[in-house]
Amino acid sequence: MRFYRVLLLSAVLSLSMSACITTNSPTTGGKGVSYGDSKAVETVSTDLGSTDIQMTAEKMTMSMLQTPLLQDIIRQRGLLMASPVANKTSEYFDTKLITDTILTQLQKNGVRYVIAGDEMQNQTDELIRQNQTGLYKKSTAAKVGNMQGAQYRIDGSVSSIVKRDASVKDVYYKINMRLIEIESGIVEWSDEKEIRKTLRK
Amino acid sequence: MKKMIALLALGAACAGVCQPIYAADGGSIASKVEELGKIDSLTVTDMRAARRDNLLRIQFTVTNSSPKNEQLYYRFRWLDADGFTVWDEEPWKPEIIYGKQDKVLNAIAPTFKAVDFKLELQSPHNSTTSERTGAGDNPPYR
Repeated sequence: MRFYRVLLLSAVLSLSMSACITTNSPTTGGKGVSYGDSKAVETVSTDLGSTDIQMTAEKMTMSMLQTPLLQDIIRQRGLLMASPVANKTSEYFDTKLITDTILTQLQKNGVRYVIAGDEMQNQTDELIRQNQTGLYKKSTAAKVGNMQGAQYRIDGSVSSIVKRDASVKDVYYKINMRLIEIESGIVEWSDEKEIRKTLRK
Repeated sequence: MKKMIALLALGAACAGVCQPIYAADGGSIASKVEELGKIDSLTVTDMRAARRDNLLRIQFTVTNSSPKNEQLYYRFRWLDADGFTVWDEEPWKPEIIYGKQDKVLNAIAPTFKAVDFKLELQSPHNSTTSERTGAGDNPPYR
């Protein structure tokens, strides 16, 4: 009887020991760094964050997509561009994060857009390289003067109202976006996203 | 009864008012909602789906049976007719549902390719069973 008890105990022990063996994860580096969910709701501070940018871009894309004008632009292969979104808040953040995401999401639905602003420098540099350095065959070099202008541009602004007392900080953000016909200046579509963030100390 | 009305509404949306949406699993609310753990006081009591301007539109009502405010996190998964996802993972969206409130929430598919959807719901007060631990313990915020 005692023999069976010892046998059973050793079997359980060996089973539990084998269960403890784990494989190494395919990671390298220190234990302090880890990857998180990029789609998680970020509540680190009341500043404009990843969730605000993602929700705003998502709302604007959905709102723009359902307008008949944008569906016409897709059908007629019209061109869009994005002007810099004005940051009227006291915080610093790159407003291109919003327009870049909107343009990417629109393009997945068939919208074509042209580059503008600070991206133009790379484009003109490449055209100059192909046409003026003498390094390229003329028959294969991209011709100067064939770039296409957009018919519509996306514009917008981010504003905020900050209120605080001893125990609460409340920030109200309003992000406004517009689709403007460049030739006429007519605002063909506009929408806004409101966000309230509260910090209790 | 409320659930029955909601089901009928979803059916009507699919059949008559607009183009039908693809619902391989019958088109009931339960088949469209995925709760991460059991949400005790929040319930999806109504859900409508319609196709307008070539885009799938969803409207759903979340009812808070508790007198306290409840935090809800939700997002959609957009699917094609074969059940493949046709859009990137959406960000989780936070929403406060006041005590005893029926909150109506709307969404529009971000792509023309979406013909079906799943609604993911999470609440920090989710309860979990021993078979499915973890989901409710790790809310989608940081």
